[in-house]
Amino acid sequence: MHRRKFLSLLGGAGLASAMGATKVRAAGNHTFNGYPDAMGVLHDSTRCIGCRKCEQACAEVNNLPKPSAAYDDLSVLDTKRRTDAKTYTVVNKYNTAGLENPIFRKQQCNHCQEPACASACFVKAFTKNPDGSVTYNGDLCVGCRYCMVACPFGVPTFEYDDPLDPLVQKCTMCHPRIQEGKLPGCVEKCPKEALTFGKREDLLAIARDRIRKYPDRYENHIYGEKEAGGTNWLYLSPVPHTELGMPVVGKTSAPELTSGALGAVPMVVGIWPVLLAGAYGISKRKEKIAAEEKAEAVREAIEKTQASADGAMKTALDKAAKDKAAAVDREVKKAVAEAQKEFDEKLAAMQAPAEDDSDAGESPEEEA
Amino acid sequence: MMKGRSLLRWAGLLVAVALVSVWGHEAQSSKAEVSSAGSYADIVTIDVIGKMGSTELPAVTYRHDLHTEAMKKLNKDCSACHKTQDGKMSLKFMRTEDGSAEELKSLYHTNCFACHAEQAAAGNNTGPQDGECRACHNPNPADTSAWKEVGMDKSLHYRHTAAKTIKVSGQDVNCGACHHVYEPATKKAEWKKQTEDSCRACHKTESTPVAEGADKMKPALNDAAHAACVTCHVKTTGDTGPVTCAGCHTAEAQKQYKVVKDVPRLDRGQPDAALVAADDVKKAKLPAVAFNHKLHETALDNCRTCHHEKIASCTECHTLAGKKEGNFVQLEQAMHAVKDKASCVGCHNTAKADPSCAGCHGLMPKAAASEQSCATCHVKEAPKGEELANMDKDQKKAAAAALVSMRPTAMPVYNEEDIPETVEIGALVDKFEASKMPHRKIVKTMIAAVAGSKMAAGFHTDPGTFCQGCHHNSPVSKTPPKCQSCHGKPFEAAKGDRPGLKAAYHQQCMGCHAAMKLEKPKATACKECHAERTN
Repeated sequence: MHRRKFLSLLGGAGLASAMGATKVRAAGNHTFNGYPDAMGVLHDSTRCIGCRKCEQACAEVNNLPKPSAAYDDLSVLDTKRRTDAKTYTVVNKYNTAGLENPIFRKQQCNHCQEPACASACFVKAFTKNPDGSVTYNGDLCVGCRYCMVACPFGVPTFEYDDPLDPLVQKCTMCHPRIQEGKLPGCVEKCPKEALTFGKREDLLAIARDRIRKYPDRYENHIYGEKEAGGTNWLYLSPVPHTELGMPVVGKTSAPELTSGALGAVPMVVGIWPVLLAGAYGISKRKEKIAAEEKAEAVREAIEKTQASADGAMKTALDKAAKDKAAAVDREVKKAVAEAQKEFDEKLAAMQAPAEDDSDAGESPEEEA
Repeated sequence: MMKGRSLLRWAGLLVAVALVSVWGHEAQSSKAEVSSAGSYADIVTIDVIGKMGSTELPAVTYRHDLHTEAMKKLNKDCSACHKTQDGKMSLKFMRTEDGSAEELKSLYHTNCFACHAEQAAAGNNTGPQDGECRACHNPNPADTSAWKEVGMDKSLHYRHTAAKTIKVSGQDVNCGACHHVYEPATKKAEWKKQTEDSCRACHKTESTPVAEGADKMKPALNDAAHAACVTCHVKTTGDTGPVTCAGCHTAEAQKQYKVVKDVPRLDRGQPDAALVAADDVKKAKLPAVAFNHKLHETALDNCRTCHHEKIASCTECHTLAGKKEGNFVQLEQAMHAVKDKASCVGCHNTAKADPSCAGCHGLMPKAAASEQSCATCHVKEAPKGEELANMDKDQKKAAAAALVSMRPTAMPVYNEEDIPETVEIGALVDKFEASKMPHRKIVKTMIAAVAGSKMAAGFHTDPGTFCQGCHHNSPVSKTPPKCQSCHGKPFEAAKGDRPGLKAAYHQQCMGCHAAMKLEKPKATACKECHAERTN
């Protein structure tokens, strides 16, 4: 195929995929605003005392191994920690300037309304349940760890020390316990209700109410209300949330960011064979027509040459015939003339002894 | 497809932008190297020509204390730069009156350059020379101002009135040394007893006519204050006030001022108690409030918090409808604005931030004033409507005094035997022994913390009011309901944000302890309150 042809085909493919994408994006007006009765948890940093009871409860209800430091050893709070495959939740201590007392924040999966991990997972190992939790099915997981890359909060963790069947691990919001009508382990254990469990919409109302009642106690921002498209864990804080190590993630959920491009994939994948086959067909047909035209032209050229050659031959032959005839004529005439001459001479010779005195002017023709 | 010409144009633009940004950056970094940028309280912006109209160059950023120091080294005083007229030192540079812009320009240039050149010749470290225009005329000076406002508080005022160095001839008080009002008859500023006011009452940000329609102008606050304070400090020998900018206008200097704790009451004819009554008493439905002026004088360290600029009755500017003089702040807002320190309610709210109050009050919503507190100030014994309208000044004064004297001086509390000694909390015996709360000890400690507070005495009207800090959301009673009456299972949607029993206890106890800044017991030290189970 020619380069130019290939490029124009590529352009065509691009256009087609772009059209596909706009279609998908137009379809993307249907946003998912979370399941209506989804539960959630509100963490209020003004209430948290950093006692680590939530960590303990989490390990107990999920049968996680005991950590090296006991749960009542609060010196571990002096270093920033993060969750891992054996720890689904950690509490961190933040000493922000201007406040006498440190502030504590619990860290765990935020159970996004539109989870990035689930949208990145191509085997559907993650599920957003109607109860608000995001759970994971290890039987489906292929271990690609795309979920870990996708999560804006760095939540999913990997069992790096399991050589045979390493799984991704994270907080489940105690999905099994919620199904039984129980509270999540951490919420049940919290001595101060720094963790409030309830329907997400109720929690938002509660959080707003607290801000309204105690305007100087809270930063007027419920983290998780809009972050990453909204999360089922919400946070209240006396200081800007970024001071408590919260990432700035924007309001758009990860699936929303990628749905346009990913939605165009089937379109592009579907359209390429058709397009290329069509292009191939067109180019094939063009080649065929060109070949036919070429043959025709050759035939015409041959005919033309033939005709002109024949014409030339004919004239040549005619000419030759004419020449021949003329030559024959001439030769005949010549022969006749010669014969005449010979006869005349012979005749003369025969007459000469007999008639010496006779006129030589007598013509043989007259004789003949 | 972009045409070659426009492509070239864009490229040119980009190159220009790049060059400018690089050059600008260069210029900036080089500027930062030559000057040692700092934060100073003595930065003066000389813009005297700018105030007249347009200028050729930006205003001059000048450091006053730097020059004062330099003059001291040369054994020169203020007169090196400031001229004296009629025994008064002018605050202007080398002149007593402003001339035309041209004159001013040459005056500054001639004098500044002359002195700088002289010092340079003598080998001293000195300021910019002729031709270094931008050294002074810099629109973006590297130095930033650390200037901090200074005010006359009660202690500082007393130190002036008690100073032996400040005397007014022929008088036994020295108020006249500073306080004056313009007397149209003599066309002079004279002291008139009992009219003393803050400088701000007459001297505004710009100079204004001394009286309505007068030609004579009175100086702006800035000039008036410096003319009064600095010239006096300079003249006075011995124990005197600051003469440098940094001496008044830095936080460090202000911290070091000697504070006189018990200042005798000012004598300006102010009332001991006054009735705060609306301008239209017939419209005002609530009884007037008696204001204990004497008490508030001792409670605050200045008059400005309430009186803003001018010593006057609140209702003069704050009317029911609001008026221009009072910035259209209505009387209701002037007294009850929750978030403003100048209103009664707002100031009382800030007082509640004190650890001995915050234990209870920190847990109470702050969004609005409590409805229960209207009657605390608007007592039914106070006059209102017709009765108030028919009162004369003295009757009002008497009524206010009577109402104030009715007020309690100590907080009413229950008898000791009515306060339960211990409260056993046995709600969580799955892990701990029952918790024995030393109820009476806690209550008595809290009562002792506010024993000397008149505010606590005035606002905790009933012996049960104090109990409501913990026993909230129920009527005042000697036997309030138990916590379990309302607090049970956590997170019941119907109960909204009401905590469950465990959290109710913990939030109440720990919240109060944190607000009262009690170090012990620590919130995370469970065993301090909960003994471990033995069986």
